[in-house]
Parts: sequence; structure tokens; C-alpha cells
Amino acid sequence: MSASHTRQERPGLRIRLRRDRSLLIMVVPAAVLLLVFNYAPLFGLLTAFQYYDPPAGVWNSEWAGFEQFRRLFADPLFWGALRNTLYLSLVQLVLFFPIPIALALLLNSVLGVRVRNFVQSVVYLPHFFSWVLVITIFQQMLGGAGALNQFLRSHDLQTWDITTNPGTFVLLVTSQVVWKEAGWGIVVFLAALSAMNPGLYEAAAVDGAGPFRRMWHITLPGLRGVIVLMLVLRLGGALSVGFEQFLIQRDAVGHETAEVLDTYAFYYGIATGDYSLGAAAGLFKSVISLLLIWGANRIAHSFGEDGLYRR
Amino acid sequence: MRPELNRRSFVALAAATPLLAACGGGARQKAGTNTGAGLRAVLPSYVPSGSVRPDIPSVAGGAGAATDPAFLAYPSGRVATVHGTPGRGGSYTAVTPLWGTVPPAGNSFYEAVNKALGVTLTMKPADGNNYNTIVPTMTAARRLPDWIQLPTWWNAVFDVGGLAGTQLADLTPHLAGDKIKKYPNLAAIPTGAWQTGAWGDRLYGIPSFSSGFVVAGAVFHRRDILEAKGITAGQVRSADDLMNLGKELTDARRGVWAFDDVWTYLFPAWNVPLTWDVQDGRLIHKYEMPQFFEALDWHHRMARAGYLHPDAAAGQNANADARFYSGKVLISGGGTGAWNLTDHQSGTAADKDYRRGAFDFFAADGTRPPRVAMGPSTNVVSYLNSRLKPDQIEELLAVADYLAAPFGSAEYTMVNFGVEGVHFTMEDGVPTATEDGRKFVQAMTFPFLASPPAVISNPGAEVVTRDYAAWQAANVRALYKPVFWNMNISLPRSLSAASAAQAVEDAVKDCYHGRTKVSEVQAAVSTWKTGGGGDRLKQWMTDNVLDRYGTGR
Repeated sequence: MSASHTRQERPGLRIRLRRDRSLLIMVVPAAVLLLVFNYAPLFGLLTAFQYYDPPAGVWNSEWAGFEQFRRLFADPLFWGALRNTLYLSLVQLVLFFPIPIALALLLNSVLGVRVRNFVQSVVYLPHFFSWVLVITIFQQMLGGAGALNQFLRSHDLQTWDITTNPGTFVLLVTSQVVWKEAGWGIVVFLAALSAMNPGLYEAAAVDGAGPFRRMWHITLPGLRGVIVLMLVLRLGGALSVGFEQFLIQRDAVGHETAEVLDTYAFYYGIATGDYSLGAAAGLFKSVISLLLIWGANRIAHSFGEDGLYRR
Repeated sequence: MRPELNRRSFVALAAATPLLAACGGGARQKAGTNTGAGLRAVLPSYVPSGSVRPDIPSVAGGAGAATDPAFLAYPSGRVATVHGTPGRGGSYTAVTPLWGTVPPAGNSFYEAVNKALGVTLTMKPADGNNYNTIVPTMTAARRLPDWIQLPTWWNAVFDVGGLAGTQLADLTPHLAGDKIKKYPNLAAIPTGAWQTGAWGDRLYGIPSFSSGFVVAGAVFHRRDILEAKGITAGQVRSADDLMNLGKELTDARRGVWAFDDVWTYLFPAWNVPLTWDVQDGRLIHKYEMPQFFEALDWHHRMARAGYLHPDAAAGQNANADARFYSGKVLISGGGTGAWNLTDHQSGTAADKDYRRGAFDFFAADGTRPPRVAMGPSTNVVSYLNSRLKPDQIEELLAVADYLAAPFGSAEYTMVNFGVEGVHFTMEDGVPTATEDGRKFVQAMTFPFLASPPAVISNPGAEVVTRDYAAWQAANVRALYKPVFWNMNISLPRSLSAASAAQAVEDAVKDCYHGRTKVSEVQAAVSTWKTGGGGDRLKQWMTDNVLDRYGTGR
């Protein structure tokens, strides 16, 4: 769009509606989906301020004010779950976040299209496995009765406790996340790489830049916007480290190690019928997440990046 | 919930639910709403049916317990127990939960049964997995069907105590005392089962699948493998015996461990109640009993000694059955419903010698006589709508009488298998579904309205029937009525978290998996008593149940 074009007077609402009619119609299903499944349930947040009783319903349940939050904050198990969540999230940020970027760069440097497609498909695949399956595979391989330990046993060697050791649980779950999600995580970065102007590389090569300098001065700066965007989103989801993964392995290492905010809300809210406490825990998590994503976005903007949206 | 539930597993599954676990809440405060004397005045008389003779008759135990009669083959006589058609042409609708495929409406099976019943009973089976959300919408709109199944583990969710008398019909005038003799097949349902459908000293519910032998479960073993080693179940008479057996059977190098999780089914051996007991007139929770921690200590030592399968210790229970079938685990706990035809088929598919056995109940110290708490007589109770007129209620009770005809009778065969030659044929004495039978006959529709007392029957696997019946007979004397037995207790919602005691149960699990010490569970219990509502729970139970209604024994 040329500069002169943008300076033109903006057309009226009715004209714009008519002009964008087909685009607007295409947006409707997504908007309805969002309204029904994301906005309408917000109404349920009321239960966090009640002694919610399902047979009585939301309208007829007794009001509790901030009592559920008082109970939540007085519960040492809640703080334990929050601590675990933040710790696991931090470790995953450090150990998991760079891997899809490195993998994308690596794949991008592979010239053979067939090899690249094959590798890409193989690393994608685990994303489509359920957590039950992934954890079962890990258990079959590394568990106390798994392939590795049975091999060690049959050679009279010391067995290695991997799946039930609370001390190394964080590494276990991070490696599971890497195995399952790293391949999927490269999609965005590969898309950004393919949008890079090949002319820049050619010019740099002509000027005598080697592969490393080309990556450092062209590829990484080109990816910076996407990396920051993903980082901001990641921080926003810092309190959602995953649910099924911890639900399934909670009994393996004990609740003190594996309890995260989501499993806390499940066990102490839903499973025991204490819905209001669960709703309070969920609301707390959402508010903190919102603050995190807002803060990260502010920081991104102050560094001159786009973040979630252009200022 | 597992997708396929047969009668036996159903009873056992529900029985495994502790007395209070299902009592999530209820808008108003209600308690065990029957008083001893008031209830005795209205309970129906019990007149056992003698029309179909089992191959292995029932054996009576203590405290009203009795084994289920067993049938080695399907009875060939097909005795008719109802004369004429019970109905007079009325039209009704019925809603029941179904864990399975819903058969098409108005199919030939429904038509045949309706013809035999003499009424138009429109069956509307609803998805069992969502049943707890379907029913409250009907009660909120006060639009219950004429006949509905309300499983007792959802009593609190459905607020059955509140519905009784307002939306559910009072059956007391029709069934109390000797009045039930008008319906001989209903009269053959043991008294205890009627208690599960009684509210405020009045009769409301019609029980299905009642049994005189309901226990939380048993400690099973691979009888074929143990006997090949010269070990018989009878040799295990104490916790020490079982520990020694664990040592003998574990061979980790070969990938064989003695135990899967057994805690839930073994802790009663230390004389620990399922939840509550009354000592010297005072209520006591199992967490307050020293023997609870002795039981825990045994399980902790067993896991630390390496006799527990590592996958079980890691909480991986999805393939627990596979471990047992493949002989990687030789001792495993479970509901008695596991002991059936399907289990036999799965087991022998993995190992042709497969044979399930169960240890007899024993006391941990090996000296006291064994004691095991009886579960509620049934968990499946149906109710009639209070809008029905007395003669309509009489008509539906006559229909219920037909549905409750004893195992193997002409009526039972119709209700469970359909019409011979159309829906099933007899092959080697086993009723076998035809194409139409597989499509239309869902055996779990009509029996959810009314059914005869449970029997043991595994057509085609006689050994299972014999083994299970023999085990019941050997153990029926160990059963006792726990406090609050068959009492309908609804806890207020504010106590549901205290009752579930999630933090303690987590600590207990960590302990019996060998990760944390018994002392940490003791710490969790202290926290639960003061901060987790344990003391409040006990006070409420004392004030609202024990002091007002007694122990119910």
C-alpha cells in the first residue's frame, strides 16, 4: 500500500461493511466459537465467590465473598503447587524454548528437500500422541520394569530409578516435552525462515560472509520478531505447564513434586466436589497469567519489538 | 467408568465406593434419614423364591450376609412365575442409565417385552457417563419420567432425599410389611436392599441387583501359577505369611513381581473400618486408629522390599490387568466383579492355564477371626413419579414384579435375552444372541427398573462359577455390618472436601508406594483434623447421624 493511498479519507462504516462483507462472514464462525466457549463460561467465575452447590445452581448458591480465596491462600498445598508450577515453567523455558529454534535453523540448512521433509515428518509425529501414550512409552523404556532396567538387571548391574525419582522429575518431564513438542514448535520458525529474502543471503555471500556470519547477521535478526512473540506467549502461559502430563505421573513421584496449579484445582476442586475452591484457584491463575503476558508485552514494546501487536 | 458393565462388576464397582465418598452435598442438610424403629415398621416382608433351584445354593453367614446362589448352566426349565400379563394397557416412560450402545426405539425386543408386560413402557436409556448431569435438569423442571433409575452413588447429586415425597412416589402404602406379598418376586428381594431406597422412614425405591455378599473387594492371585509352585491360598493366614509369599514369588530378573496395588482391599485385615467405627459410644475415624498405621507400615515395608511391581509403584494402572494376565504380577487387589466370564476369556487368551483365585479373608496378626465390612445391599434403585395415581403405581409394581422374576425363569429370559428363535438361540445350553439380539437386546435396560437378587452365572466357564461360589461360601462368615450400614447419609457440601481428605489420601498413596514414611501420613492426618475439616466432619457426623439415628446396626 503506497503512502498516498493511506492518506486518503477513510470510507464510511456502511461502505466498509459492504466492501468487507465476505471477510466478515468468514470471521463469524470463529467469533461465535470464541463467544460460546471462551466468553460465555466466564460467567462461571461467579462460583469462585460462592459456596457453589451444583443442584442449587449458580443463581441459588450461597455467596461467600472472598472466603474461597482466603482458604486458598491459607493452604500450604496451594503454595506448593504454585512453587512447582513456576519452577517447572522456568526450567522448561531455559531447556525447551531454544530447541525448536535450533531445530528449525538446522532443518533450514538441510538442502535436500526429501531429507528435510522426512525429518520434519518424523519430528512432528509425537505431537499427535496423547500424553498417556507418551508416558507409557517412557515407562516401558525407562521405568522400573522397563527395557533399560531389565537389561541392567539381567547383567547384574545397579538399576536406575528414572521415572519415580522426585529429585530428577523436572528433567524427566522436560525431556518428555522436548520429545513430544519440539518438532511441532518449529512450524512457526520455519514459516518465518521461508519468508526471509534470499537476496540478503546472496549479497552477504558475495561480500564473503560464511555460514555462521550469515546466520548471526541475517537469520537470527530476521527471526527476532517471531522469537519475541513466542516468548511473550510462553510467559503468558507460564502457569499452564500442562495438566495430563502431571495428572498421570503424580502418583509416580508423589504430589509434593508433581502438583501444579491445574492438578491442584482438579484434585482439591473438582474431584472432591469443592468446586468454588477450584474456581478460585483457576481465577487466580488467570489473573496472574494476564499480568505476565501484559508485562512481557510491555517489555517487548520497550525494546522496540512488536510483541503481541504493533503499537 | 468402564464402558462395559455387567451385573456383577456393577455391584462390586459401586460397593468399592466408600460409604461417604459419593455424598458430595445436597442443598439442604440431611442425614441418615431413617430411624431404626420407624424403618422396621415399613420394610417389606422377605419371602424367598423357590421356583428356580440353583446348582449351588446360597449359604447364610453372620449379620444377615448370604452368598449369591450359583448356576453352572442356564436353567432349562424356564419356570413361569407370573400368571397372565401384569399390566392393564397403561402407557409409561422410563429413563435408565446405559453404559453401551442405545438400541433403536420401538424395536422388536421392546415390542415383545411390552406385549408380555401388557403395558406400553417407552424405554429411554440415557448415556451413563453423563447421567449425573441429565437427571438434575429433569428434576429442576419437575419433569421426571414415570419411572427412573437413580443409582445411589449419585444420591447427593440428585438430592434424592429432597425428591422423595415431592417428585418421587411413596410406595409404603403398597409394599410395607406383608402388602408386598401381592408381588411375590419383589418379596423375594432381601430386606436390606429395600433399605437403600428408604427415606424418612418411608419406602420409595425399588432395588435392582441386590446381593447379600457385597464387599469392597478381594486380594486375588494367579491360582494356576501358585499351585504349580505348590502354594495354596489357604496357607496364607496372616500378614507375615503374605509378606513371606511376596519374597518367594518376586523374581525381578525375570520381570516378575509378587504384588500389584493391594492396599484398598487388604487394609481391613488390620481391623480397620472402611471409614467410621463406634467405640464406647464415640465415633472414631479410621485415620485415628493405630491399626490404620500398622496396615500402612506393612504396605510401606512391602514396597521398600521390592515386592511391588515398579509400574504399580509409579501409579501406572492402565495396564494392571495385562500385568496380571501375563504373569508379571501374581497378587493383585480388585473388586469381586473382576471374577467373571470376561476375565476368564481375557486371562486364558493370554495364558491357557489362567485361573483366578482369591485369598480367604484373614486377620493381619493371624490370631483374631477375620472381619470384613459389608457394603450396601445394592447401589441401583429405581423410583416412580409422584404424579402417578395409586392404580397406576399398582400397575407399575406388577410390571416390576415381572422384571424381578428369578434368574432362569421364563420372565427373566424374556427380559434379558428376548424371544427364543428371534433374539437368541440356545447353543450348548448357553443363550446366544442372534443378529437381531445383538442389535436390539440391551440386557441393561429393563433390569435397571427392577431385577431379581444377584446370582453367580458364567455360562461356558463353569470353573469360574465354582471357584467364586466356593470363595464366597468360605468367607461369608467373616462379613459384619459396619456402622451406618445401608443408611442414606448426605453430607453438606461444606464438608465434602473434609470427607474426601485428598491430602491424606495422597500421603497414604505415597506411603504404600514406598516413597514417604508412615510418620508423614501421621502429620498429614493431624493437619487434616485441624485445618482440613476432619474434626468438623466428625462433629457433624456425631451430631447429625450418630446421636439422632444411631449406628444403624
